[in-house]
Amino acid sequence: MSEHEDTDHNHDADSNADDNAEENAAPPAKRDAKRDDLPDTMCDPPSARQVSDTEEDASRREFLKVAAMGACGVGLVGVAAIPGAAYVAYPLNHATTVGGTGLLPAGKLKRFKKGVPSKVDFFDDRVDAWNRIEDVKIGSAWVVRTEDRLLALSSLCPHLGCAIDFDAESIKFKCPCHRSSFSLEGKKEEGPAPRAMDELDVVEEGGLVQVRYLRFKQGANERVPA
Amino acid sequence: MINRAIDWLDERTGIRAAWRWTADEEVPGGARLRYVFGSILMFLFMQQIVLGVLLATYYSPSATDAWASTAYLTDRVSGGWFLRGLHHHGSSAMVVVTILHMAQVLLAGAYRRPRELNWITGLAMGMLVLAFALTGYLLPWDQKGYWATQVATGIMGTVPGGEPLRTILQGGSEYGNLTITRFYALHVFVLPGTLGVLLFVHLALFRRHGVTPPAELSELELKKKSQAFYPHQLFLDVLAMAVMGAILVLLTFWTHGAELFAPAQPASNFVARPEWYFLFLFQLLKYFEGPLQIIATVIIPGAATTFLLALPWLDRANDRRIKSRMPVLSGVALMIAAVVALTAVAMDEDASNKKYQKGLAAAHKEAHRARDLAHRGVLPRGGDAVYQNDPQVKARTLFVDHCETCHAIDGEGGDEAPDFAQYGSREWLRQMIRNPSDPSKFGGTKHEDMEAYPEAELPEAQLAAVVEYLTSLMGEQGGPTDATLVATGKLLFADELDCNSCHEVEPGESGDGPNLSAHGTTAWIARVIRDASQDDLFGEAADMPKFAKKLSKNEIQMLSRFIHSLRRGGEIEQEGGASPQPATDGSE
Repeated sequence: MSEHEDTDHNHDADSNADDNAEENAAPPAKRDAKRDDLPDTMCDPPSARQVSDTEEDASRREFLKVAAMGACGVGLVGVAAIPGAAYVAYPLNHATTVGGTGLLPAGKLKRFKKGVPSKVDFFDDRVDAWNRIEDVKIGSAWVVRTEDRLLALSSLCPHLGCAIDFDAESIKFKCPCHRSSFSLEGKKEEGPAPRAMDELDVVEEGGLVQVRYLRFKQGANERVPA
Repeated sequence: MINRAIDWLDERTGIRAAWRWTADEEVPGGARLRYVFGSILMFLFMQQIVLGVLLATYYSPSATDAWASTAYLTDRVSGGWFLRGLHHHGSSAMVVVTILHMAQVLLAGAYRRPRELNWITGLAMGMLVLAFALTGYLLPWDQKGYWATQVATGIMGTVPGGEPLRTILQGGSEYGNLTITRFYALHVFVLPGTLGVLLFVHLALFRRHGVTPPAELSELELKKKSQAFYPHQLFLDVLAMAVMGAILVLLTFWTHGAELFAPAQPASNFVARPEWYFLFLFQLLKYFEGPLQIIATVIIPGAATTFLLALPWLDRANDRRIKSRMPVLSGVALMIAAVVALTAVAMDEDASNKKYQKGLAAAHKEAHRARDLAHRGVLPRGGDAVYQNDPQVKARTLFVDHCETCHAIDGEGGDEAPDFAQYGSREWLRQMIRNPSDPSKFGGTKHEDMEAYPEAELPEAQLAAVVEYLTSLMGEQGGPTDATLVATGKLLFADELDCNSCHEVEPGESGDGPNLSAHGTTAWIARVIRDASQDDLFGEAADMPKFAKKLSKNEIQMLSRFIHSLRRGGEIEQEGGASPQPATDGSE
């Protein structure tokens, strides 16, 4: 024990001298390792005159050892930690689920009657990490034909994502979860929803209606793609 | 600040005393490099745990997902190949360092009284390291892991009383989802937990008995040279760990990580080999057949294990010096020599085994292809559904579903319409002209008007010229042609043989036979598939259904490419020229 207290003390006193030693930590440390293995004179008790010198040496050696250990330790942790961080954070800058962002068929134009919303499910191939799943339902929308235009409104409530129903009696869209209600054109009328129903792009070509299905951030005042 | 934090912690945990207890342990005789192996193993174990947890964040243990998720984390996720490679080589490193640790213990006589339990827990941990390797090998569910593990569980089944054990281990009579969930549970929970407990006992015992210093040193010398564990021995330990870490990193870069073979296909055959450290057992198996097999699977390994376990009691020497312990040490040396020899023989046999090397090369090619295809995502029905991503495979399926009732490929399929083996190649055209009514050509159809041209009417040299001309009509898709032959063939076609009285060669013109401009090209084949009865094709006599409405545009394109590819024996032409094409036709 007493030996250790001594070395600790010396270590503090020597810290200035050791400042520049850190850069050279590895090579002298190796030499020390060899020296430790030498069974002979090195470890013989020093004569009285040599005591302070060898103690200084010993404490310096110890400091170098600790510094080298620290460096090796950091290196060893880094080997797994650095690639590990990139690996775990992969989804931050790569799409891990892909699908249903193109134009998807909603049906023939004839199918949609003026003033009567019709719910359409969209199917597409979806890539989920390592899987490609063919022709899965990726979402649905209410397609509404008004006097002058064709609208597709995402059936997801902009509030918290519940599926919005159509109430034929009041001719309103109603969210069953938190009682938000919307006009036939999707305008917000009452309830906690922060914005109107999310409108999706509609393309009508040769009597066929296509919709670009997208999801938007819930709870936001503005319509931002999720 | 830091001191105050430590004070706070110390007051509640006694951390300073605990550290001192660890750090101040005396190493009699001083720190030595030969004591580092245990610490390296600790480091490797910790690293394997960290890497294993990282792998588990992407890996999915099910027979349908395992391969695809492994391919995903290896080939797609940033750093995945490196982490998986490190984990893979880490297991080899553990085996090697375990052996070195054992060797050091043997040489020092550290298994002797009072350290018998250190020895036995150590041996048990060594076995666990092997169990880790065995269970981990299967998890990617690739061909290599699947078939190598089949051998291991197969052996288990042949041992008396092993059959029920095997059924329990693999969760049924065959490999499937339950096999992988069980191996996963073993690899990820049971084995690490058990190893952790054993390691704790091993370390506690070690702390109680301390290192086993060289036998030559006297008590006095040991005491004199004694050093504290911290920093002297720990320094050597950490240095050794750093060297180990560096070796692993280099090895991982050098090998580009761990291999991943093609997805497991239960109905295929694969040249299965175990990991290198099991090769000696694999080799041993070759020498004992039939009822004698048990000698290689149970008796010899069992005897060797028993010998090692009993070593502390077999060793009756009076002291720890190597000289005094020659009888037991030579026994161990004999075992090691046998293992090394068997491993070397196994490697040598494989190196000179052409069939194995060929199989291995094919397996690597297959692996490459499967992993390429996996980039599009694998259908959820299982790892080997990855081949469905290959347009060629999909086209073949379409062919089987829609064409095979009438058309064959190389005799496989119906005979009511032409066989498509090498369809459109020079050889196919040659045979077609020689005998158009052959069952493999138009013999089964209503197209009976074309006469055969036997050797007497059309010598082989002239036929070759006509065939060359016909090939030139395919344009780019026909490949390079011989201009002189084409010119000769053109004259023969138009004048001497009068082929053009039935076959037009100007696009759009109709004759009694099909217009041959661009015949055999993908566009032409696609037109035939859509509607073969068009005037400039096979006309009203065509019995072939019109597929224009039955198949999608995409499907027709895929099929026509597939049939065209048969000209070259099935190598599909990639649109970007990605796959290497043979320079000449196989038929030439």
